[in-house]
Amino acid sequence: MLWYKAWRESQARFLLSAGTIAGLCVAFVVFHREGAPVADHAQTYAEYIWRIVYKGYLRELFVLLALLLGVGGLLRERDYGTAPFTLALPVSRWHLLAVRAAVGIVEVTILSLLPAVILPALSPLMGEVYPWSQAWQFGLLWSIGGAFLFSMGFLASIFFAGEYTAAVVAVLAMLSYSVAVELPVVERYVPDVHDLMSGVGMPYFRLDTYHLVGPLPWTTLGGLLLLVGSSFALAGRLTQRQDF
Amino acid sequence: MLWYKVWQESRTRFLIAALVLTGFCLFATLAHRKLGPLSSGSVISRIHELIYSGTAKGTFAVLSIFLGLGGLVRERARRTSTFTLALPVTRLQWIRTQIGMGLLQLAVLSLVPVLLLPPLSQLMHEPFPLSDTLHYSLLWFVCSSLIFAVAYLLSVVLEGEYTAAVLCYILLMLQALLASWRPLRPYRLNLMWTMAETSRMPWSRLWALALLTAAVFALAAWRTQKQDF
Repeated sequence: MLWYKAWRESQARFLLSAGTIAGLCVAFVVFHREGAPVADHAQTYAEYIWRIVYKGYLRELFVLLALLLGVGGLLRERDYGTAPFTLALPVSRWHLLAVRAAVGIVEVTILSLLPAVILPALSPLMGEVYPWSQAWQFGLLWSIGGAFLFSMGFLASIFFAGEYTAAVVAVLAMLSYSVAVELPVVERYVPDVHDLMSGVGMPYFRLDTYHLVGPLPWTTLGGLLLLVGSSFALAGRLTQRQDF
Repeated sequence: MLWYKVWQESRTRFLIAALVLTGFCLFATLAHRKLGPLSSGSVISRIHELIYSGTAKGTFAVLSIFLGLGGLVRERARRTSTFTLALPVTRLQWIRTQIGMGLLQLAVLSLVPVLLLPPLSQLMHEPFPLSDTLHYSLLWFVCSSLIFAVAYLLSVVLEGEYTAAVLCYILLMLQALLASWRPLRPYRLNLMWTMAETSRMPWSRLWALALLTAAVFALAAWRTQKQDF
């Protein structure tokens, strides 16, 4: 029942996001012959897909959508007057939070795997080929990057009660993070999730073929998952102490 | 009193936005060169890269979405719409106040670089022309007003708390994508490009955007007057 509740609270955002991402993937494949719309030079199909999906517009869209899927929670319910009903349910606050986090992570994973399914499946129908292995590797990178971004929104919704305040703070935190990881003193120690998701400047991505090559950065991905788990644990701890 | 009410509802978002823009201006002008690629080059090039062509511009556009959210549909979810509608003002007066306050906040935010960049860049002995900051401020204000208007209309029409924000952001990305399609590129329809327009002021485009903004506000007002709370 808790899963259904968490799904209902986020379904509009999720379905809108999923519809948009799926629609754009289909459009990018179907209309790729219209002259690689965003480029001034002839491109291979792999370059076109990478630039428009994994580096460009779709990734930027995915980043903010993953962030906005994380906001919500008991502080917002307190403003609506429904927090007492939710807290009266025969489940612990940990359980409430864990289910909301799990539903969100599943939604972010689905969003990140939509291009992994649509691009390789649809490309042959348009006379092109996009390897399943490439798409699924990018899907994995996006899943973990998306989980990190989701956790930013999730954590902000634990700290900030005002309507839209959590969303604004989460967006600004993400933008500040994006600027900070460009600084040499920071980029040495903090992974850049945007570059991780797109492969830009990464040893596992080749710019001449626009393909992922070699092993994925499992240590970095593991570290990000650990950070995501720690964020949820912190959120749980704070929620247990909050007064609704 | 209505102005005070609307201010109270949006001040946190506004103040956070003002703080972030201030931070961007300070970083662009005062950041030490050794901080890396974002702080290399002259102060003027950093201002163009970070503020008028880069992250600050995109941030401002996204913040405009959140400033536009609100409305009676959100108040109905919080069960305060009956109190608001019981006030001795017409719905149109209430809508006008919301829109007026939003536009005023956007104007103030657009002027933050005007207030900070010329004096701060002067401190670094590389003055950024006041005329340029005013040029960009007008572009930012007109473009962000349209984004604000669309966010406002969507929050009047859609029930979910973040649904309007998500849809508005999707529309912003879609318009950028469509505008970059080769047949449409000569018309420079992308709002982000207009906000960074370096050549002479595109008056006809700004007037068209202003008219479109007014039409969107009128639609939102009409819809609110018809709604049942």
